Amino acid sequence: MLSIGTTRRAQRGMLREWRLHALSVFSLAVAFVCLGAALLVVTNLRAVEDRWAHAGRVSVYLKDSISTPDVEALKSALTATAGVKSVRYISSGQARQDFAQTEKKNLAGLSQEAFPSSIEVEVQPDMADAELTEMVTKLEKLPGVDEIETYQAWTDRLARLVRGGVAASGILALVVFASVLAVVGSTIRLALQRRRTEVEVLKLVGATDRFIKGPFLVEGSAQGAMGAMGALALLATLFFLVKGRLDGELSSLIGVEPSFLPWPIALGMVGVGAVLGALAALLGLRRLVAV
Amino acid sequence: MPRFDDQDDAQESRPFRPLLRQGPRFARDAAARPILMFEDVYKSYRPGAPVLRGMNLVIERGEFVFITGPSGSGKSTLLRLLYRSETVDEGRILFMGRDIARLKDDSVPFLRRNIGVIFQDFKLVKTWSVFENVAITLEVLGLPQRLIKARVGEALERVGLAGRGSDAAGVLSGGEQQRVAVARAIVGEPALILADEPTGNLDPQLAIDILGLFEEIHESGTTVLFATHDRSLLDVRSRRLIVLDEGKAMDVAMGIAPAEEGYDNELPL
Repeated sequence: MLSIGTTRRAQRGMLREWRLHALSVFSLAVAFVCLGAALLVVTNLRAVEDRWAHAGRVSVYLKDSISTPDVEALKSALTATAGVKSVRYISSGQARQDFAQTEKKNLAGLSQEAFPSSIEVEVQPDMADAELTEMVTKLEKLPGVDEIETYQAWTDRLARLVRGGVAASGILALVVFASVLAVVGSTIRLALQRRRTEVEVLKLVGATDRFIKGPFLVEGSAQGAMGAMGALALLATLFFLVKGRLDGELSSLIGVEPSFLPWPIALGMVGVGAVLGALAALLGLRRLVAV
Repeated sequence: MPRFDDQDDAQESRPFRPLLRQGPRFARDAAARPILMFEDVYKSYRPGAPVLRGMNLVIERGEFVFITGPSGSGKSTLLRLLYRSETVDEGRILFMGRDIARLKDDSVPFLRRNIGVIFQDFKLVKTWSVFENVAITLEVLGLPQRLIKARVGEALERVGLAGRGSDAAGVLSGGEQQRVAVARAIVGEPALILADEPTGNLDPQLAIDILGLFEEIHESGTTVLFATHDRSLLDVRSRRLIVLDEGKAMDVAMGIAPAEEGYDNELPL
């Protein structure tokens, strides 16, 4: 059990060997920055994926040959479909005009086919994928419909990217685990060697192995936790610096506001650092000084 | 387990002593037995060259015993066997009725809480303060800080270092460092004090001062085993003297005028 005495002795040990511990914390922070950065990317990619997976939009591009009554019939049919929130017809000319206004460019060189007329269908966000697919299948069979864009391909690509990111994070996590074990283990073995007399004295006055190991475990745990916290602080600084520079451009591009690591993940990183640090210290203390 | 679960104010004025775990072989009449009994003890570090060869020795409670002998005679080995830094090859060492050699590893710390050990090289943590070096003995026992402060203060006063608690141990003189080591050994009020050449690094006058300190400790009822090969110290005080020679212990009376008592005062040193 962690007692006040153990914590006090650990604190004393860390203060006396602060250079050694600072070096260890810095090394761990570098390792955790890699893991944290990967998690940050994955978290934001997942948010983008979620955003586009529930985009709630379907663009029905129409053939040039479609007649106005057919368009109206199609609009009426879509409006009456369950799960459809709104239906809006955008003519070819309006599409060209909208694009020119948004991009502030002269589009005189572009042909008329570049901006097909379309019906923008807004569906309920909770509409089931199966219902949406069924609706798209039915629409595709209509003679006036040229192409339908549900943004599913974009979402699939994002999902693949997220899976890749998760795999990369997993590998990085293993690298971090190994580095925590190596760095903390070495630091604790070195600290044990430097405090050899202290351990001898403790054994001579009747300290149990648990009493002797306690402070070293606390030190290892603190190193792991501080390494993770240092990494989070560094990442947060960089994240908010970059986010401030982009000034909303990124969010309008990807459709979501980039966010920092959620609290549970950040706290999890610190917790994992603490547990791994204690484990590494325990492994480093397998052979105590014999007295 | 140490029996310090229910400390109260009354305990501050009461002598306390950590207990050995009783175990299944505990004998209730142990208190009436000698504090130490060596029974046919053998110990060797190299095959064919035993340091102790069937040594027999009995030490009663409250005795002050000098242990002497030439270098390599086994003085330090004898003490190391007592605080279980080494184990016997054969024979038994009974400390307060329990066989030290049969103690399990996890019982050794509880044995050591009953023994104060002092070394020639002091074995102090130089980066710790005097207070911290002494207090560690009581911290191990889990005593509350208030009690530790009081006990350490008393111990430092006994060794003549009152008010020096905040000094770094590393900056003290040799004599002062040895006094800190003595304070560390006595602060837990152990049943037995083992001193392994405690004056070996000190000049003659300091050595006599330190010996006086051990005698004061002995006067409070603590059994003291004082290993030394310093003949001048043996001549200063009349105490029981055990000479280790050829792996065996011999009682030699000394320090008392031969003419008066008729003892042969010749030591095989």
